[in-house]
Amino acid sequence: MQLTELPTHTAAIAPDPSHDLELCQVTKKFGSQTVLNNINLSIAAGEFVAIMGPSGCGKTTLLRVIAGLESMSAGKIYLDSQNIARLPVHRRNTPMVWQNYALFPHLTVQQNIAFGLTLSSHQKAIVREKVYQIAAMLHLENFLDRRISQLSGGQKQRVAIARALVTEPKILLLDEPMSALDPHLRIRMQGELKRLQQALGITFIYVTHNQNEAFSMADRIVVMNRGNIEQVGSPSEIYNRPASHFVAEFVGYNNLLDGKVVQINSQTMTIQCSQTVAVVQKPDRAYSIGEQVTVVIPADRMFVSSDSASENSIKAVLRGQEFMGSQILYVLETEEGCEIKMIRQETLNTSQSIPVNSELHLAWSSEDAIVLGEPITHH
Amino acid sequence: MTKELALTRILPRWNPTSLLKIACLTPVVLYDGIFFLLPLIFLIWIGFWTTENYRAVPGFSLENYLDIFSQLFNKSRYAYAIAQSIWVASTTTVLALILCYPFAMSLTFVVPERYQRTALLFAIAPFWTSYILRLYAWQTIINPNGLLNSLLLQLGWIQSPIPILYTQWGTRIGLLHYLAPIMILILYVMLSSSDRSLLVAARNLGATYWQTFWRVLLPLSKPGLIYSATFGLIISLGDVLSGVILGGGTGQSILGKVPLFSTVILNEYAASTNLPRTSALATILILLMVAILVISSRFAESKE
Repeated sequence: MQLTELPTHTAAIAPDPSHDLELCQVTKKFGSQTVLNNINLSIAAGEFVAIMGPSGCGKTTLLRVIAGLESMSAGKIYLDSQNIARLPVHRRNTPMVWQNYALFPHLTVQQNIAFGLTLSSHQKAIVREKVYQIAAMLHLENFLDRRISQLSGGQKQRVAIARALVTEPKILLLDEPMSALDPHLRIRMQGELKRLQQALGITFIYVTHNQNEAFSMADRIVVMNRGNIEQVGSPSEIYNRPASHFVAEFVGYNNLLDGKVVQINSQTMTIQCSQTVAVVQKPDRAYSIGEQVTVVIPADRMFVSSDSASENSIKAVLRGQEFMGSQILYVLETEEGCEIKMIRQETLNTSQSIPVNSELHLAWSSEDAIVLGEPITHH
Repeated sequence: MTKELALTRILPRWNPTSLLKIACLTPVVLYDGIFFLLPLIFLIWIGFWTTENYRAVPGFSLENYLDIFSQLFNKSRYAYAIAQSIWVASTTTVLALILCYPFAMSLTFVVPERYQRTALLFAIAPFWTSYILRLYAWQTIINPNGLLNSLLLQLGWIQSPIPILYTQWGTRIGLLHYLAPIMILILYVMLSSSDRSLLVAARNLGATYWQTFWRVLLPLSKPGLIYSATFGLIISLGDVLSGVILGGGTGQSILGKVPLFSTVILNEYAASTNLPRTSALATILILLMVAILVISSRFAESKE
């Protein structure tokens, strides 16, 4: 699986046949508002890609553009080396699984699943066979004669997936399909969806604002913000090596400290932040003395230190805490009013409660910090 | 425990809300009772009276009905008139649906949302002018020397005026003009409340616009179609004015020259002033309408 950000300066890019879906400079404008800004993305055949971002970041619009439900202002879309940008919706074979399922209430489960097949002339026996096959994969074979109103939420979800897959598309688009499911059902469905995708070998493009879903299912994650792609990478890359301030703030719980590079050695780099000095392992990218950078420290790598070291340590006052199952999220504030988060593995029973407003020295080890070198723009 | 529960279920609890409900419902019940239900009961009751020396005599006899049923196929030939009424009403309703459904569709899907209310207002506007006035206006349009015929003659599309006035087509035109606003309203309400994501889903699954219409939109509009058709049938069956003013009271059809049932009722009363017998005829018409209502609501609620 290769990370494939296309160069933005080339006007015409020949489609790469090894890629199932290729988006070239896709731009979408609603009036003066740019919803998708020059999106370049290549998705390999059989890949499970999650598109993640806050609401309004353009992720759903991107999905609708791929399906042809939304026109593009500029750009090209290659599906299987064929430019589909001008193909009408019904000829793209890019079925979608909708947030509200959008199942036809006047048809039975069997008729719903068969819908895509019955639009073109297929023999009845073949239709029946194909519907049964896909229904069996999704454990729906005993529900085929039911009406949609007789199904539970989880069953509706399966019917929606079966209906989309019955025409054997190369690509399946999923628009926050699990947001209406109960949490326990959601986790089961995640496993099942991943299994289904691997069994069929179809490309899945999964739009979600739920990080857990993206991280647990996707081969690759696309983080979007304000119509731009912020980062494309494997879940661990996105989690451990955020490429931008936005990703660092959006994904997981990270602490961001702004500073200036003051010293570069063979192994380490020293950054002077306003309230501390951070010593980090020398990054791959070359930095120069005096350059403005941001140090990112994951909240779960922070620990309480008894002494106040001058390096990789910060003084902060505890403002509140939140219990997150087996972890506790502590929210602290530095003298300058900067928020610091710390996550510790502990439960209500084992936690040695720290009184609110007590002053703590938080520290981290140099290998846990990441440096981001781009210009500082807080969102 | 269970006994108490059962009791509270049968007896409504006396609380302020139910008092308010009663206060709100009383005028409606009174109005409907006095001005609708009571006359209806009266009409049905009078149908069982007899006449002596041209005077209605209260009582209970099946004389009127027996007489009517004996004349179903001869003399007054009521069965023919009923068949004629059903023929005109059903053809008018089908025509009205064919005209109104695309109208309501374009109102819902083509007209921008902020203009929809205004457009709907214009569609319903004819309803606010007098029905009789509109029928006389149609007379001037469709009579042999009227607007339509002179226009067609001028254009050279026809050689001699086509007879529309005082034919069944005249009746249908009058009824169509009367039905259209209400049927458009019913269809518009139904179409605009239909789930559009289903139409998008159908397109996404490979349906052309045409297939989306036949496979999704039309089946989903079934209840609305049935309700507006029921409305059209019942109004057409009961209407007498269009048949008299534009249809000339009779009409040539596959049954021959047979009047509409509503016209028969009107004429019989005018000729004989036999109130009990006319009431019996009217009761038969009402029963026909009730039958249509029951059947159509069964259809609308059925999920198949």
